Amino acid sequence: MALELNKLTEQVAGMGAALAARSNDLAARLPQARAALQALVGDDPALQHKIERALSLHWAGAIPTDEPAFAIFPCPQHPPLANIIAADGSQVYPDRHGIALYYLINTGSIIFRHGMDDAPTCASQPHLFYENEDLYLGEHLIQGALVDSQRDLAELREIARLTTAESEASPTLALLDNGLLLYLGLHSSEQRRSDEILRNYLRALREIEVTGAAIAGVIDLPRAANVIRLLYLAELESNDFEAEDLRQLGDYAQLTDRMLFSALKPGERSALFVNASPENMEQYMPSGHKIMFFYVNTGSAKHPGILRVELPEWIAAQPEQLALVHSGVVEQARFGGGFPYVLMRAHELAVVTWAQRGQLQQMVAGSMLRSGLSPTISRKAQGKQWTDRG
Amino acid sequence: MNNLSASIPIGRLLRSATVGFTFGCSVPEPEVPLFGDFVKAPAQVNQAEVIGLIDDIVIEDDPFVRQLVAAPDLPEAYIQDQRQNRQVPIEVSVLTIGYRTDSTIVHALPPQPPITLDYVQRCPPDEIIAFTDSHDYLTLIMNAQDAPADELLTAALQRATRARPPEERGFFLLQAGKALARLLANDLTRLEALLRRIQVTV
Repeated sequence: MALELNKLTEQVAGMGAALAARSNDLAARLPQARAALQALVGDDPALQHKIERALSLHWAGAIPTDEPAFAIFPCPQHPPLANIIAADGSQVYPDRHGIALYYLINTGSIIFRHGMDDAPTCASQPHLFYENEDLYLGEHLIQGALVDSQRDLAELREIARLTTAESEASPTLALLDNGLLLYLGLHSSEQRRSDEILRNYLRALREIEVTGAAIAGVIDLPRAANVIRLLYLAELESNDFEAEDLRQLGDYAQLTDRMLFSALKPGERSALFVNASPENMEQYMPSGHKIMFFYVNTGSAKHPGILRVELPEWIAAQPEQLALVHSGVVEQARFGGGFPYVLMRAHELAVVTWAQRGQLQQMVAGSMLRSGLSPTISRKAQGKQWTDRG
Repeated sequence: MNNLSASIPIGRLLRSATVGFTFGCSVPEPEVPLFGDFVKAPAQVNQAEVIGLIDDIVIEDDPFVRQLVAAPDLPEAYIQDQRQNRQVPIEVSVLTIGYRTDSTIVHALPPQPPITLDYVQRCPPDEIIAFTDSHDYLTLIMNAQDAPADELLTAALQRATRARPPEERGFFLLQAGKALARLLANDLTRLEALLRRIQVTV
């Protein structure tokens, strides 16, 4: 007997009611936030001072750009011919209860030639990590967060490789299924490896920049509240605030940027903002890759689908490249149910199913047997195999 | 037995039973299978070939495809991506109508079905001619529980007739008609309908 669903009936009913109450509460507070956005003056010296002070306190808000914060931009024309490239990664984490310590990163990629009738070019590339220097940092087994960062790096390197090969013929847009900031790696305690991954990540961004291709990271169902934080900051009465004051959002608590921009019409995007996170300001910006973002509605008027799109400053600074990102995401989402088609396909090409994990484990076991080793899993893992059915 | 003909594989076996088997293939296979085609698959460690008729072709779908179906003005590149790149196979069901060991052809169910992932091939004309030289296999088609027997029988006789040189086709059809008359002596309505369809379609 495992999960007795009948014992959850009342709790689930309570949860549904709580979610409805929370939704009503947020909807009631949303107009105030939208009014604040309309009233925001990005180049107001008082706001600029507050932002400078907030940045010194490691504030994770949004910095307005030359575009008015409340501005809305219709979807520009998509170029008749364009290469739309996407890469996505999947991973198998090291399992200390498994037959051997290893981890796997599988990268899927697709080159979609918009405006042509040819089938896209698809590929996937698995990489097995099993050497001591892959697995250990000193005496410690590599953390899942670092594996995630290595996967993100593998995706970006694949994008760099493909854009180098493809971007001469037609305008080229490369998409990633996540933001462009390596939060996970940077939060890792394994600083030396994190720094190395970040260096390589920034190098890959530079390689893409040189090709002339546009790149953007797409986040579905974004929960970020960078712009909401900006609105809260703007309403603080003085510059005399501390980090603790910035961790709360007052009347805007639990509101997200996605809610704020959910009134965008299909195809429209919000203004550009700079991500004010410390990682961006301290690591990306000095390297010339400051990350900016906008929100775009790729759904319908009745059912908005708000995506967050992150892009480097060297894309945002070129109107035609920014337009390619905007129109490319909207066009691709037309055939992906509101999410870019190429990202769905790249994910499909990268994903490692549970059945494939089992097959990989069998391959590893076979290799160990041929090398005179006796593969065994831990007794705990054995017990789980016996009991975790269905 | 190792004299498998050099015809190109059209798919790999997904699952099998004594009475039939199912194989998968994708659209760009060099020879897209057709309803009523004679196909064969190895069995008993290549000691035999199970011979059957394609009795159903199912194009698999998934939520991704369904979502695209509803999209207006779907560009060709998306269609080609789904058809050529995605692992969504065509499932093809086969009704077993006999087997072959060395030069012996048996119009009965085989001792063992083919094994998963074996290659399935279309039978070349000379093998179809040899297999349909007598008409005992018609019983297995007419007794099929889950196949559209009369449609399948018509299609199979059509393939077998066209495999022969033009001067032999009339005689072949006459013999097939006689065999059907014996099998359907108690069901003249069905016999008449079948004979008419064979004449019309061949």
